[in-house]
Amino acid sequence: MESKKLVSLFQEDLCIFSLRSRKKSSVLLEMVRQLKASGKIADERFILEMLKNRESLGSTGLGLGVAFPHGRSIAISDLTVLFARAASGVDFESLDGEPTRVFFLILAPSEKGAEDYLALLSQLTSLVQQPETLKKLYEAKNFEALQTILGGNDE
Amino acid sequence: MREEFKLLVALQDLDIMIREAEEKKTSDKFKDMGFQLDGLEELQKGRAKLAEKIPVALRNRYERLAGHYSMAILPVTGNKCLGCFVKLPTSFFSSAYSSELLTCENCGRLLFIP
Repeated sequence: MESKKLVSLFQEDLCIFSLRSRKKSSVLLEMVRQLKASGKIADERFILEMLKNRESLGSTGLGLGVAFPHGRSIAISDLTVLFARAASGVDFESLDGEPTRVFFLILAPSEKGAEDYLALLSQLTSLVQQPETLKKLYEAKNFEALQTILGGNDE
Repeated sequence: MREEFKLLVALQDLDIMIREAEEKKTSDKFKDMGFQLDGLEELQKGRAKLAEKIPVALRNRYERLAGHYSMAILPVTGNKCLGCFVKLPTSFFSSAYSSELLTCENCGRLLFIP
Protein backbone atom coordinates (compact mmCIF):
# COMPACT_ATOMS: atom_id res chain seq x y z
CA MET A 1 0.00 0.00 0.00
CA GLU A 2 1.75 3.19 -1.18
CA SER A 3 1.61 6.51 0.66
CA LYS A 4 -0.86 7.98 -1.84
CA LYS A 5 -3.24 5.12 -1.25
CA LEU A 6 -2.75 5.28 2.50
CA VAL A 7 -3.65 8.96 2.71
CA SER A 8 -6.67 8.42 0.47
CA LEU A 9 -8.17 6.13 3.10
CA PHE A 10 -8.42 9.03 5.56
CA GLN A 11 -11.33 11.47 5.54
CA GLU A 12 -11.67 14.75 7.37
CA ASP A 13 -15.02 13.75 8.86
CA LEU A 14 -13.38 10.61 10.21
CA CYS A 15 -10.84 12.49 12.29
CA ILE A 16 -11.13 13.71 15.87
CA PHE A 17 -8.24 16.01 16.67
CA SER A 18 -9.22 16.57 20.27
CA LEU A 19 -10.94 13.65 21.96
CA ARG A 20 -13.19 14.68 24.82
CA SER A 21 -13.24 11.25 26.47
CA ARG A 22 -10.69 10.22 29.06
CA LYS A 23 -11.58 6.56 29.66
CA LYS A 24 -11.06 3.58 27.38
CA SER A 25 -14.74 2.68 26.98
CA SER A 26 -15.80 6.27 26.35
CA VAL A 27 -12.98 6.81 23.82
CA LEU A 28 -14.27 3.81 21.87
CA LEU A 29 -17.82 5.16 22.08
CA GLU A 30 -16.76 8.64 20.94
CA MET A 31 -14.98 7.20 17.92
CA VAL A 32 -17.88 4.90 17.02
CA ARG A 33 -20.32 7.84 17.29
CA GLN A 34 -18.13 9.75 14.85
CA LEU A 35 -18.38 6.81 12.44
CA LYS A 36 -22.15 6.97 12.72
CA ALA A 37 -22.23 10.75 12.31
CA SER A 38 -20.20 10.42 9.12
CA GLY A 39 -22.66 7.82 7.76
CA LYS A 40 -20.11 4.99 7.74
CA ILE A 41 -22.21 2.78 10.00
CA ALA A 42 -25.92 2.54 10.69
CA ASP A 43 -25.83 0.89 14.08
CA GLU A 44 -23.28 1.88 16.73
CA ARG A 45 -23.85 -1.19 18.85
CA PHE A 46 -22.41 -3.81 16.48
CA ILE A 47 -19.15 -1.97 16.06
CA LEU A 48 -18.83 -0.94 19.69
CA GLU A 49 -19.41 -4.51 20.90
CA MET A 50 -16.97 -5.87 18.35
CA LEU A 51 -14.28 -3.37 19.40
CA LYS A 52 -14.82 -4.13 23.09
CA ASN A 53 -14.55 -7.84 22.35
CA ARG A 54 -11.32 -7.19 20.49
CA GLU A 55 -9.92 -5.35 23.50
CA SER A 56 -10.77 -8.34 25.70
CA LEU A 57 -8.56 -10.46 23.42
CA GLY A 58 -5.65 -8.12 24.21
CA SER A 59 -5.29 -4.36 24.35
CA THR A 60 -4.78 -2.74 20.96
CA GLY A 61 -2.82 -0.02 22.74
CA LEU A 62 0.58 -1.16 21.50
CA GLY A 63 2.57 1.43 23.41
CA LEU A 64 4.49 4.51 22.23
CA GLY A 65 1.26 6.41 22.86
CA VAL A 66 -0.58 4.75 19.96
CA ALA A 67 -3.55 2.36 19.79
CA PHE A 68 -5.07 0.49 16.87
CA PRO A 69 -8.60 -0.61 17.77
CA HIS A 70 -9.68 -2.83 14.88
CA GLY A 71 -11.93 -5.58 13.65
CA ARG A 72 -14.13 -6.95 10.90
CA SER A 73 -17.91 -6.83 10.76
CA ILE A 74 -20.72 -7.05 8.22
CA ALA A 75 -21.91 -3.77 9.75
CA ILE A 76 -19.26 -1.95 7.72
CA SER A 77 -19.18 -1.96 3.92
CA ASP A 78 -15.68 -0.62 3.14
CA LEU A 79 -12.22 -0.60 4.63
CA THR A 80 -12.44 2.38 6.98
CA VAL A 81 -9.95 4.19 9.16
CA LEU A 82 -10.69 6.81 11.77
CA PHE A 83 -7.91 8.94 13.26
CA ALA A 84 -8.23 10.36 16.75
CA ARG A 85 -5.90 12.29 18.99
CA ALA A 86 -5.91 13.05 22.70
CA ALA A 87 -3.17 15.61 23.35
CA SER A 88 -2.81 14.83 27.03
CA GLY A 89 -3.24 11.09 26.64
CA VAL A 90 -5.81 8.53 27.77
CA ASP A 91 -5.45 5.36 29.82
CA PHE A 92 -6.11 2.76 27.12
CA GLU A 93 -4.50 -0.10 29.06
CA SER A 94 -1.60 0.02 26.64
CA LEU A 95 1.05 -2.67 26.71
CA ASP A 96 3.72 -0.26 28.04
CA GLY A 97 1.35 1.27 30.60
CA GLU A 98 1.80 4.74 29.15
CA PRO A 99 -1.08 7.07 28.17
CA THR A 100 -2.34 6.77 24.58
CA ARG A 101 -2.33 9.94 22.52
CA VAL A 102 -3.06 8.74 18.99
CA PHE A 103 -5.68 6.27 17.77
CA PHE A 104 -6.11 4.59 14.40
CA LEU A 105 -9.45 2.79 14.42
CA ILE A 106 -9.55 0.33 11.54
CA LEU A 107 -12.65 -1.50 10.38
CA ALA A 108 -13.13 -3.89 7.50
CA PRO A 109 -16.11 -5.73 6.04
CA SER A 110 -16.13 -9.36 7.13
CA GLU A 111 -17.49 -10.68 3.84
CA LYS A 112 -14.31 -9.63 2.06
CA GLY A 113 -10.83 -11.02 2.70
CA ALA A 114 -8.62 -9.84 5.53
CA GLU A 115 -5.65 -8.97 3.28
CA ASP A 116 -6.25 -5.22 2.81
CA TYR A 117 -7.12 -4.78 6.45
CA LEU A 118 -4.01 -6.59 7.66
CA ALA A 119 -1.87 -4.67 5.15
CA LEU A 120 -3.23 -1.35 6.43
CA LEU A 121 -2.67 -2.35 10.05
CA SER A 122 0.84 -3.45 9.22
CA GLN A 123 1.60 -0.21 7.38
CA LEU A 124 0.32 1.96 10.22
CA THR A 125 2.06 -0.03 12.96
CA SER A 126 5.32 0.36 10.99
CA LEU A 127 4.71 4.08 10.46
CA VAL A 128 4.56 4.81 14.18
CA GLN A 129 7.91 3.12 14.71
CA GLN A 130 9.51 6.19 13.09
CA PRO A 131 10.17 8.61 15.99
CA GLU A 132 9.84 11.75 13.85
CA THR A 133 6.53 10.62 12.36
CA LEU A 134 5.23 9.66 15.78
CA LYS A 135 6.09 13.08 17.21
CA LYS A 136 4.24 14.76 14.33
CA LEU A 137 1.20 12.53 14.88
CA TYR A 138 1.11 13.54 18.56
CA GLU A 139 0.98 17.15 17.42
CA ALA A 140 -1.38 16.85 14.41
CA LYS A 141 -4.08 19.44 14.99
CA ASN A 142 -5.92 19.34 11.68
CA PHE A 143 -6.55 17.24 8.58
CA GLU A 144 -3.94 19.02 6.46
CA ALA A 145 -1.26 18.24 9.02
CA LEU A 146 -2.34 14.61 9.09
CA GLN A 147 -2.28 14.39 5.29
CA THR A 148 1.24 15.82 5.25
CA ILE A 149 2.42 13.29 7.82
CA LEU A 150 0.89 10.42 5.90
CA GLY A 151 2.72 11.49 2.80
CA GLY A 152 -0.21 12.81 0.80
CA ASN A 153 1.38 16.19 0.14
CA ASP A 154 4.66 14.69 -0.98
CA GLU A 155 3.20 13.22 -4.17
CA MET B 1 -33.27 -5.04 12.08
CA ARG B 2 -34.84 -7.44 14.57
CA GLU B 3 -33.00 -8.06 17.82
CA GLU B 4 -32.29 -11.73 17.15
CA PHE B 5 -30.69 -10.89 13.77
CA LYS B 6 -28.49 -8.32 15.52
CA LEU B 7 -27.39 -10.96 17.99
CA LEU B 8 -26.61 -13.37 15.17
CA VAL B 9 -24.52 -10.73 13.39
CA ALA B 10 -22.67 -9.98 16.64
CA LEU B 11 -22.09 -13.71 17.12
CA GLN B 12 -20.67 -14.02 13.63
CA ASP B 13 -18.37 -11.00 14.18
CA LEU B 14 -17.12 -12.71 17.31
CA ASP B 15 -16.59 -16.00 15.49
CA ILE B 16 -14.52 -14.24 12.85
CA MET B 17 -12.39 -12.62 15.57
CA ILE B 18 -11.89 -15.97 17.33
CA ARG B 19 -10.98 -17.64 14.03
CA GLU B 20 -8.41 -14.94 13.25
CA ALA B 21 -6.87 -15.38 16.71
CA GLU B 22 -6.81 -19.18 16.41
CA GLU B 23 -5.47 -19.48 12.86
CA LYS B 24 -1.69 -19.52 12.93
CA LYS B 25 -1.29 -17.61 9.68
CA THR B 26 -3.38 -14.65 10.85
CA SER B 27 -2.39 -14.70 14.50
CA ASP B 28 1.31 -14.70 13.54
CA LYS B 29 0.71 -11.56 11.47
CA PHE B 30 -0.96 -9.84 14.43
CA LYS B 31 1.83 -10.89 16.78
CA ASP B 32 4.47 -9.64 14.32
CA MET B 33 2.76 -6.25 14.45
CA GLY B 34 3.00 -6.28 18.26
CA PHE B 35 -0.55 -7.29 19.19
CA GLN B 36 -1.13 -9.67 22.07
CA LEU B 37 -3.87 -12.28 21.74
CA ASP B 38 -3.85 -13.64 25.28
CA GLY B 39 -7.56 -13.24 25.95
CA LEU B 40 -8.86 -15.99 23.66
CA GLU B 41 -10.39 -17.94 26.53
CA GLU B 42 -12.17 -14.79 27.74
CA LEU B 43 -13.47 -14.19 24.24
CA GLN B 44 -14.80 -17.74 23.99
CA LYS B 45 -16.65 -17.30 27.29
CA GLY B 46 -18.17 -14.09 25.90
CA ARG B 47 -19.20 -15.99 22.80
CA ALA B 48 -20.98 -18.65 24.87
CA LYS B 49 -22.88 -15.97 26.81
CA LEU B 50 -23.91 -14.21 23.62
CA ALA B 51 -25.03 -17.47 21.99
CA GLU B 52 -27.31 -18.20 24.96
CA LYS B 53 -29.30 -15.06 24.20
CA ILE B 54 -30.26 -16.31 20.72
CA PRO B 55 -33.37 -18.52 20.35
CA VAL B 56 -32.23 -22.16 20.20
CA ALA B 57 -33.68 -23.00 16.77
CA LEU B 58 -32.10 -19.94 15.18
CA ARG B 59 -28.80 -20.52 16.95
CA ASN B 60 -28.69 -24.15 15.83
CA ARG B 61 -29.40 -23.07 12.28
CA TYR B 62 -26.55 -20.57 12.45
CA GLU B 63 -24.14 -23.08 13.99
CA ARG B 64 -24.95 -25.64 11.28
CA LEU B 65 -24.31 -23.10 8.51
CA ALA B 66 -21.21 -21.73 10.24
CA GLY B 67 -19.79 -25.26 10.11
CA HIS B 68 -19.97 -25.09 6.32
CA TYR B 69 -19.38 -21.46 5.50
CA SER B 70 -17.09 -18.75 6.87
CA MET B 71 -20.09 -16.39 6.66
CA ALA B 72 -23.42 -17.92 7.69
CA ILE B 73 -25.44 -14.70 7.78
CA LEU B 74 -25.12 -11.93 5.24
CA PRO B 75 -26.86 -8.72 4.24
CA VAL B 76 -28.59 -8.64 0.87
CA THR B 77 -27.01 -6.10 -1.44
CA GLY B 78 -27.40 -5.71 -5.17
CA ASN B 79 -30.19 -8.32 -5.32
CA LYS B 80 -27.66 -11.09 -4.77
CA CYS B 81 -26.67 -13.45 -2.02
CA LEU B 82 -23.17 -12.27 -1.10
CA GLY B 83 -22.27 -15.84 -0.19
CA CYS B 84 -22.93 -17.66 -3.48
CA PHE B 85 -23.63 -14.59 -5.67
CA VAL B 86 -26.82 -16.09 -7.05
CA LYS B 87 -29.53 -13.56 -7.91
CA LEU B 88 -32.41 -13.60 -5.47
CA PRO B 89 -36.08 -13.77 -6.52
CA THR B 90 -37.98 -10.48 -6.56
CA SER B 91 -40.28 -11.80 -3.80
CA PHE B 92 -37.37 -11.30 -1.40
CA PHE B 93 -37.70 -7.59 -1.70
CA SER B 94 -41.40 -7.22 -1.00
CA SER B 95 -42.28 -5.40 2.20
CA ALA B 96 -43.81 -8.58 3.60
CA TYR B 97 -40.35 -10.09 3.91
CA SER B 98 -38.25 -7.03 4.62
CA SER B 99 -38.17 -7.61 8.38
CA GLU B 100 -37.73 -11.38 8.14
CA LEU B 101 -34.61 -13.48 8.20
CA LEU B 102 -34.48 -15.03 4.77
CA THR B 103 -32.75 -18.05 3.32
CA CYS B 104 -30.83 -18.18 0.07
CA GLU B 105 -32.52 -20.92 -1.93
CA ASN B 106 -29.23 -21.78 -3.58
CA CYS B 107 -26.76 -22.05 -0.69
CA GLY B 108 -29.00 -21.93 2.39
CA ARG B 109 -27.21 -19.00 4.04
CA LEU B 110 -29.23 -16.69 6.27
CA LEU B 111 -29.91 -13.33 4.66
CA PHE B 112 -31.34 -10.08 5.90
CA ILE B 113 -32.25 -6.84 4.20
CA PRO B 114 -30.25 -4.11 5.96
